[in-house]
This record gives sequence, C-alpha cells and structure tokens, in this order.
Amino acid sequence: MDEFQEILQDFLVESFELVEKLDEDLVELETNPEDLELLNGIFRVAHTVKGASSFLNFDILTHLTHHMEDVLNKARHGELILTPDIMDVVLESIDLMKELLNTIRDTSADAGIDVSGCVSKLDKVSGGTGEVASPVAVEAAPQESEEVAPEVPEAPAAEEELDYDNMDDAAVEAEIERLLNQRQAEDKAKREAKIAAGESVPEAPPAPDEETGEQTPKEEAPKAEAPKKEAKAVVPTPPPAPKKPAGGAKAAAPAKRTPAAVEQTIRVDVKRLDHLMNLIGELVLAKNRLIKINSDVEERYEGEEFLEELNQVVSIVSLVTTDLQIAVMKTRMLPIGKVFNKFPRMIRDLSRELSKEIDLNISGEETELDKSIIEEIGDPLVHIIRNSCDHGVETPDIRTANGKPSKGTINLKAFNEGNQIIIQIDDDGKGLDVDMLKDKSLEKGLITEKESDAMSDKEAFGLIFKPGFSTAAAVTSVSGRGVGMDVVKTNIEKLNGMIDIESTLGSGTSIKLKIPLTLAIIQALLVGVQEEYYAIPLSSVLETVRISKDEIYTVEGRSVMRLRDDVLSLVHIGDIFEVERILDESEHAYVVVLGLGTSKLGLIVDTLVGQEEIVIKSLGDYLKGIEGIAGATIRGDGGVTLIVDVVALMQMARDVKSTVSIEASAGAVSNEKTKASDYVVMIVDDSKTDRTIMRKALEPIGITLVEAGDGQEALGILKSGDYNFDAMLVDIEMPRMDGYSLATEIKKYNKYKNLPLIAVTSRTGKSDRMRGVESGMVEYITKPYSADYLASVVQRNVNFKSEFL
Amino acid sequence: MSDKLKDIINKQGEQQADTGLDQSEDIVQLVGFVIGDEEYAVPILAIQEIIKPFSWTRVPQVPQYVLGVFNLRGSVIPLIDLRVKFGLQPKKQSDETRFIVMRHEDDVAGFVIDRLTMAIRIKKENIGNAPDTINGDDTMIDGVGKQEDKIITILKVNKLLERDF
Repeated sequence: MDEFQEILQDFLVESFELVEKLDEDLVELETNPEDLELLNGIFRVAHTVKGASSFLNFDILTHLTHHMEDVLNKARHGELILTPDIMDVVLESIDLMKELLNTIRDTSADAGIDVSGCVSKLDKVSGGTGEVASPVAVEAAPQESEEVAPEVPEAPAAEEELDYDNMDDAAVEAEIERLLNQRQAEDKAKREAKIAAGESVPEAPPAPDEETGEQTPKEEAPKAEAPKKEAKAVVPTPPPAPKKPAGGAKAAAPAKRTPAAVEQTIRVDVKRLDHLMNLIGELVLAKNRLIKINSDVEERYEGEEFLEELNQVVSIVSLVTTDLQIAVMKTRMLPIGKVFNKFPRMIRDLSRELSKEIDLNISGEETELDKSIIEEIGDPLVHIIRNSCDHGVETPDIRTANGKPSKGTINLKAFNEGNQIIIQIDDDGKGLDVDMLKDKSLEKGLITEKESDAMSDKEAFGLIFKPGFSTAAAVTSVSGRGVGMDVVKTNIEKLNGMIDIESTLGSGTSIKLKIPLTLAIIQALLVGVQEEYYAIPLSSVLETVRISKDEIYTVEGRSVMRLRDDVLSLVHIGDIFEVERILDESEHAYVVVLGLGTSKLGLIVDTLVGQEEIVIKSLGDYLKGIEGIAGATIRGDGGVTLIVDVVALMQMARDVKSTVSIEASAGAVSNEKTKASDYVVMIVDDSKTDRTIMRKALEPIGITLVEAGDGQEALGILKSGDYNFDAMLVDIEMPRMDGYSLATEIKKYNKYKNLPLIAVTSRTGKSDRMRGVESGMVEYITKPYSADYLASVVQRNVNFKSEFL
Repeated sequence: MSDKLKDIINKQGEQQADTGLDQSEDIVQLVGFVIGDEEYAVPILAIQEIIKPFSWTRVPQVPQYVLGVFNLRGSVIPLIDLRVKFGLQPKKQSDETRFIVMRHEDDVAGFVIDRLTMAIRIKKENIGNAPDTINGDDTMIDGVGKQEDKIITILKVNKLLERDF
C-alpha cells in the first residue's frame, strides 16, 4: 500500500504539473492551430495521464483521457481541424480531468464524477467530424508524414492513412492504435540497439520525437520504479505496454537516465525549506547582535590591534549570512509564470462569454517570488483581470466606433524593482471615470458628499476597492457583486503590498501591484516613541519627513499636514499603542509616511532610529491577535521590538481622533467626580503657616488636599502618580525650586499641559504677574486673601460641581 | 528470535514504567513561591526555568497583568505579573524577584513572582481539593497542599497559561 501511495504521489505531482501547462498550450494552439509541436505536446500529456492512470486503475480517468487522446490524435494527424467549438469540448474534458485529479488527490480514487457526457461529446467530435473532415485529412496527411518521415522512416503509416475514408470509427481507432504501437516498437528497438551499442543516453530528444506515446510512458515507468526497487515487480503492464523484452538492457537504461535527471532538480518538502528559513532567521539575529557588540567593543578599545581582526571576522560573517539568506530565499522562489499560466485560458473563456475580443500579452513570467506569496497572489490577479475584461475592455463595435482596434489588449507583466516585485496589469479599455465612481459610491453610501468633493482622482480610483462598490448595472456571472476588488485589496495588504492605479478615461487603466519579495525576513524602519521602539516594515514606508509642530493642523478633530500637494492625515504612534507621553519638549517631530494599497497615512514618531533587517517572530498563542502588532523581532542588543502591522494600524488610525481631542476626552473620564473628595488639589508653599491657612480655607468644601514644602517636593509628588491632581496652588518664593521654575517644569509634561496652576503670592508687581503667565499660571492670587475668595477660585478652576456643596 | 527479544524488552519496559508510576504516586514535587502574603506552588515538571528579572518590552492593548514580552534565548515569550493577576497592587521588583518560565504543551510564559521559597516534596495524600467555594473548571487552583506548619496553594499551570482576555 505504501508503494502504491508513493507512486500515486508521484503521479499526482506530475499530472498536475502537466495539466497546468496544458491549458496554456491549448489556448495557444487555438490561435495557432498549425503548430504541430504544441499539438504533440498536448497529446503527450493526455497520453501520459492516460497511461499512468490505467496503471493505477483509475478507470474513469483512463476512460476520459482515452477519448480525449483520440480527438487530439486525429488533430495531430490532420484529420480534424480544431475549431473553437471542438476546442470547447477539449477544454471541458480537461476541466473534468483536473476535477478527477483533485478527487484522486483527496480520496485516492476517481469515483463520483460523471464523465459520460463529455466522453460522448468527444466521441462525436472524433467520430462525426472525423468523417466530414476526412478530405482535409487527405491533404494534411502527406504534409504531416513528410515532417515525420525524415526522422523515422515510417512509410506504412502514411500509406494506410489514405484508406481512412473507407473505414468506420472503430476501425480508425484501432488502426491508429496499431500504428502507434508499431511505431513505438520500432522506436524502442532502435533505442535498444543504441543502448546495446554502448550509448548511454538515447540521443533522441523528446521534442522532435513524434512517437511521443512511447517517450512519455517510459519516463513515467522509471519514475515510479525509482523510489523502490521492488516496485519493478509490482508494475503490472503499463498500458501502452512499453515492452520489456531485453530486461537487463532496459533496466540499465533508466538507471543511467534517471541520475542525470535527478541531478537537475530535487523535490524537497516545503517544511524542510521552512525549517531552513527559520534557522537562517536565527543566524541573522545572531549576526545583528554580533555587529552591535562589535561596535560597542570598538568604542571601548579604540585603537587596539585586535579590533581590525575582529572587524574582518564580523564583516565576513555578516556577508556570508546575507548571501546565505538570499540563497535560501531563492530556493523558496517560484516563477510567477505558475500563476500567469492560467490566464490565457481564462481570457479566452471570458472573451467568448462576454463576446469581446481580447488579447493577453504576458511578459516577465520568469520573475520569481516566494512560494507563500505566489499562493496568495493568484486570487487578486484573477479578480483584476476579470475586472479588466468585464469593465475595462469594450465590446468590438464600441471600440471601432471610438477608433480603437476591435481587439482589446490586456498586458500582464511582472518585473523586479529593488526589493519588490511589480505586477502590472494594463488594459486599453475605457478607463475609469472619476465622476462616475464618485456618483456610484455616493449612491451606495460608501462616501459622503463632503468626502467626494475633497477627493483627488487617485483617491477616487481607490474607490473601486471599497467593499460593496460595483459599477455594473447588473450582476453577471463574471462580475458585479462588488466583492472581487475588495478581495484584491485585502490580499495585497496582507502581503504588505501596495496598489497603484493609473487611468485615462477612454484609453485604458493600469493597475500596479507592488509586493515584497519575501515574508519571513524583512527590512524595517525602527522608530522610537518615548522610551519604546517599534519596527515598521520598510515596504510600507514611502518616505519620512521632519516637520515642526506648527505644521500640524487640526481639521474636524483630525491632525493633518500638507505634504507637497497632498493633505496627509496624521496619527501619533503613541495614541495607537497607548504610550504614556511624559516628556514632550521637542519642537520637531518625524512623520513616517505609510503607504498601503492606495491609502496613505502619516505616523508621527519621536525619533527615527534607522533601517535594519529583522526576522519576524510570532508573539505566540498567548498574545496573538493584538491589534496593530504583526509580531516581534529580537534586536542586536537582545531586546524585543514589536513589529507594526501597517494594515491594522491604518484601520486603527481611523478611530483615533487627533492628539489634542483624545487628551481632552481622557481627561474627562478620569475627572469623573462622584463626591467632593474626588477633587485633589496640591498646596505648594514653604511656609507651614501659609499651608495651614490655605487648608483651612479649602477644607470646608470637602476636597482632598496634598501639601508640598517646595517645588522639588511638589514635582516629586506629581511624578509619583499617586494622585490625580485637579489643580495646584503654588507659592512663588520657595527654596530649592521656586514657583516659576516649578510651573515651567510641570508644563513640559504633556500630561499636565492642562493642569490649572494658581499662583498664591505676596508679590504684586506687574512683571511678576507677567512671569506667572509666561510660566503657565492661570490665576494669580495675592496675599492676603479671604478664605471665600480662595475657595471660589479653586472651585472655578477644578470645575467643582455645585451639587457637592 | 527478534520478536522474542522485543517482547522481553517490552515487558521490562512495562515493569519499569509500573514501578516509576508507584513512586510518583506517593510524592509530588513542587516549587514554592510567594506572591504578596501567600505561598503558592506549581509542579516542578511544569517549570522550564527560573531566571533573574531582566528587561522586557511593553505590549499595547493587553490587561495590566501582562507586562509584555521578553527574549529568552531567541524566543519571544510573554511576561505576566502574578501579583497584578491575583488582584494585588504592583510592587517594585527587588533582589528576590524572579521570573518563572512555565510550560504546558506548546504554551510558554514567564511569570513574575515576589520570592522563591523552596522545592517541596509532598505526599499525594496530603493534597486536598480546592475549597468547594472556588471549585469548578474556571479556578486556577489545583489543590491545597498541607504541610506541618502551613498550607500551600497549588496552581494549575494550564490555567495560568490560558489567555483570558
């Protein structure tokens, strides 16, 4: 059973690979029906699958592929012209074949799918048209046999084909089978002769070898045998019976052939690559650490000789690590062609369905991307291309009326740009109509009138990604549900990618997807806020700018700034990650401009630390799913730095009002008073008598009072956070720290910006009052004062609720 | 022949396992520690290591008792303050403060405790059920260990490591 499983696995892997290519080939064949090489390739696939499946006892699959093979074989011999209608049948049968293969993969059996309908269609094609098309066949036959002849003298085949007119279907089939076998036998004999003559590898390359029926099953057989030697015994009769007369010679042949092939590629379990990638991740962390230590050592032992040696080692290690990382990353890379392959077929189906004429040009299919990204990128591309076909490219009559060629073109290309892959989808259709997009969005309530007016063209293009947005009047089977483009956005953002749309009304749309090369190890921008650091994936960072605080404006409760011609909404990283902002002195701030999909956001940070290569680590089950955090990484100093999830952050930013208003609301919450003693006021005076007088004046209201003997002490109490003060009564003349300096210090703390400071002093000069105001005092009470006056000033400043009186 | 050998080895293994079970049935090994005024304990096998406190990174949007994450030889591990989790006021870390890294299946976390006491060997028969009032699936208490002069609350490691926010 294990052997069977092993063979089955090989069979499935190979079949899926073959079938994938089949779609592409068939569509190309339709545009280029004369291409015999292509046709042969397709026939070969059908035949291989048939052979292998009959060997593995998948009767339904064998049955289907057998009939498919018939049709293809006729076409191959020119007895049949592949009209689009016939193509539809063939494509249908290939879809069925895929379905069967999927069923086999899931259940190890091919039961449960009805192929009879398709088989009878295939029969009709191969039988019915076979007769009708026979005159063509006569013309085509010699032409084909000429091609074949120089390679392998195969006269009988050509002769007998002339008799087909008089044969019935079954006989034709039988005849073909017989001829094929005959050719195979001859070919085999030749090959064996060659082997016998000591030529290790049969030179006949697969392409010119018309007798493909022979070639492929033979490849199949050794593959199946390779894993276990005993398997040879198990192999019953491979269907087109690759004869094994000279057993010894034959066994020798595959043995010599396979090693050559095996050395080219090895199939490796993805898990092993993932493990390797994890190990490299650890190495990168160690490297970062080493570099950090190196620079520390450099500082301490400047000028020592061994430093140079250490430097050399460190740079070699870091160089090799980087190379190693790239090399391992490359093993995980797959050409994007794997995804692109299915599009020619899709375009073909779509254009028939929509009765449009569409050409698809693919370029850059050899561009490589990480496997995990390849898996994610397929769906978005399908949606974009469907969209281009349905909404972009116009019907032929409209196109001609607009002076465009009746056939629309969609260009799909992929290329590298720095650390990113760009996938670009251009169509020469009608383009996006900004006004129409806005109207539709308004209609569906996705945006408000105000937003619509303020919207730039670029932003308006971005509307197509809104969930629920659809311009189609009716839901068709192709599009119009308003889901597809939303999927595009979500998937691309999940990959930390960006979407860029450009469109000119009337001449086409171009959608650019920018996707990072890999997911596990990324370049990040490290930013600091207060004492904390965060890593932002560099792929989402468009630029950083240094601004002064007065460049930040507040519009409708949101912070914004002008960035060249755009208005950029801003959010402070501290507001998102609940960073307690204690010190806020600097006049300047750094804004990290984040771009994701089509949207932009400015993230205000305190410092920019720099760019670093980081390894993404999960926070584990206990902490997973924290909004705004994508994971963590370990820095050179051994500390942990959290990685910002830019997608979530942008989402969260929408709910965060501007810094100013959030403070006000936070204040309101903490100031929710239920009784008079909830109000806390600090009395700062160096004289015990003065403090007692103030206490006597305020105690009757019932508020809580805290005393401090000088500015230093007051600051200490404030910082300890034991109390939440509502106001402070400050004497000016005090030892250690006077009232002005205390006020200035307090106002440095963001948290206490709005704390009312009331000066209580015997200094009455105008300049004293001025200094008081400058240092942030809100009231100025001169000694002596009446108790009632003091109480009323305090009550006013703490917003004392009258019901507590 | 080889089958016979296998049988014998298997039997021997079974016997060993049996005797091993007998021993562990009598005695439970625990590690005791203090949080606030109470002494608690967890099974020694659930403890991966006990380390002196070092720096950690705050994580936003978590309950107050989750202090953040720290780096334990390349793994990022959450750090939980048991004082806060048990409803006590947070306290400054002292020389006696330790991080106990506990593991249950794949879940690992570090717990801040005030002070270690000792490794405790306690007879199974001396472990009572948790008081009826706090019984149930939700309790973090596995049982109460009776010793000559005091009782120790034994905690469920899997409950401690369970995310409850």
